[in-house]
Amino acid sequence: MRSLDRLFEHSSRSLARHTSRRSMLATLGKLLTGAALFPLLPVDRSSRAEAAEGGGPAAAPKTPTRTAGAKATVEGKKASDDPMSCEYWKYCAIDGFLCSCCGGSANSCPPGTAPSPITWIGTCHNPVDQRDYIVSYNDCCGKTSCGNCECNRNEREKPMYRPSRNNDLNWCMANADSNYHCSVSVILGVAEK
Amino acid sequence: MARYRPYGWRTSGPWTFALDANMPDSPIRRRTRVTHPINNVATSMKTWLTNAALLSLATCTPLVAAPPLPAEHLTATTLSPGNPHWIYVLDEAFNNEIDARVHLFDGDTYRRLGQIDAGFNPGFNLSPDGKTSVVGTTYFARGSHGTRTDVVEFTDNTTLGVAHEIVLPAKRAMTLPTYFNIAYSQDSHFLYVAYVTPAASFGVLDPAKNTVLDEIDTAGCVLVIPSGPNRVSSICESGRLLTVTLDAQGHESGRAISAAFFDPDKDPVFVQGVPTSDGFAFLSFLGEVHEVDFSGTQPAFRKPWSLLAPADQAQSWRPGGVQVGAVQRKMGRLFVPMHRGGEGSHKQGGTEIWVFDMKTHQRLARWPLAPHQLADVLAIQVSQDDAPILFAATDKSDVAVFDARSGQLRHVEKRLGQTPWLLLNP
Repeated sequence: MRSLDRLFEHSSRSLARHTSRRSMLATLGKLLTGAALFPLLPVDRSSRAEAAEGGGPAAAPKTPTRTAGAKATVEGKKASDDPMSCEYWKYCAIDGFLCSCCGGSANSCPPGTAPSPITWIGTCHNPVDQRDYIVSYNDCCGKTSCGNCECNRNEREKPMYRPSRNNDLNWCMANADSNYHCSVSVILGVAEK
Repeated sequence: MARYRPYGWRTSGPWTFALDANMPDSPIRRRTRVTHPINNVATSMKTWLTNAALLSLATCTPLVAAPPLPAEHLTATTLSPGNPHWIYVLDEAFNNEIDARVHLFDGDTYRRLGQIDAGFNPGFNLSPDGKTSVVGTTYFARGSHGTRTDVVEFTDNTTLGVAHEIVLPAKRAMTLPTYFNIAYSQDSHFLYVAYVTPAASFGVLDPAKNTVLDEIDTAGCVLVIPSGPNRVSSICESGRLLTVTLDAQGHESGRAISAAFFDPDKDPVFVQGVPTSDGFAFLSFLGEVHEVDFSGTQPAFRKPWSLLAPADQAQSWRPGGVQVGAVQRKMGRLFVPMHRGGEGSHKQGGTEIWVFDMKTHQRLARWPLAPHQLADVLAIQVSQDDAPILFAATDKSDVAVFDARSGQLRHVEKRLGQTPWLLLNP
């Protein structure tokens, strides 16, 4: 027992010699702060969302998706989260060139082009928050077709006799410069069930 | 003047050499002898040139003996009379859409015969006699931008030259090519052009007088399905057909709306119709065939039938693409590109071509495309002669030519344009 007492006494004194109470508190504080911030970091949670869905990629319906933009997908990032991928969740009813590959972004037109004021809409499911969103697909107009990242997905898309759901029409038709360049997707709001 | 440097000769040192002795720095002018770098044997330039000349003479003797080629005359090719195996292939040129064009292709010789320019996002059709091509298109004053001009250009199919044009109001429907973007009346007296601004209407044109006669409001119904000498039907959001009748001056004299012949919510039809013996068949996303008889004053609807047996439905087979079917009227056969898909797959091309009997509605054959290394088929057309051939345009821009009776592949024309989405023949 005496030897044990000496061992603990030695380690305690050693600890006291090499650390201060302030550093101990600082380390503890870092740990507590890190734990609190962890849920706010940009962690990909879509895999959990898919697991919750009970589906996953294998259960997804086969769509006529062209993945010309797949090269632009950031390595390690899920395609459904990548605005430069045709698989990006907001592109579920797009048919055209992705403005994100043409100098713009998922919701902004490339420089020198003008957004179309009229548009078609789609309803896309966001696997991250499990909500359905109404998405407006505006064309960007005034230059000839971008020719990069063609994306042809048509979920719930309807023929031309349902124009508000049709992506075959050139929605630059009413612009001063009605030439078609590329397409963007803009969230309008959560779809009501 | 460029110097002649035989292969392997150095450009400096003792081998330096130029044939043109008049050049200021010519080694011929500077030196009369060259030195072989290996055995260092001096050779006279005169001897060397003599040997070279003899060698040249020996090798050129046969050419000297042959008669010279005759002078040529520059000409412009004219077309021979057409045949049923010629096909007009509309290339939408989607990657640079202001430069669409129509290729005329011979399904027997597999040669391109010529081209019709088609501008931006065009509609295209042929006159009932096949002698004229009409392109409804848009041009911008500065190529890709600037003032918009919508126009119909009439091409003489015997020369492929533009014969005349009619300028339109800037309302032309800019959409995928179908039979119904621009279409002639049965007697060629009128030409109809679909407008979408997005308000829907259509223009009535007089091709003989080069004039726009009228614009008819279609109350939200789209496209121009011609029938008879003076009727135009349009497809409505509700699944009905609006039919407008015109008077002799091209103005509306009456209109009627049909009952719904499909359910746009549950199973929409493709807007691309398939010409039949008395009208058009419209295929639905899920494989229903809606045949519409346009021979009467109002369209008549036959009982729909399905392309799919229960086993096919279980495997999610369905039609898809842009031009989703073709009927050989003498054979009474319907050809459809089919794929296995789901929600949103209606623009996916066929991995197989299925053949149906139009009377019995029985499937007669399945022609898989993978054994031919063909990509998905987006557009299909068949000739109407006694030895019919089937054309199939793929997602990889190839156009395949099949024997329409046996399904035997005869030819694959690689890269016939960029995005060949509509195939028309007289």
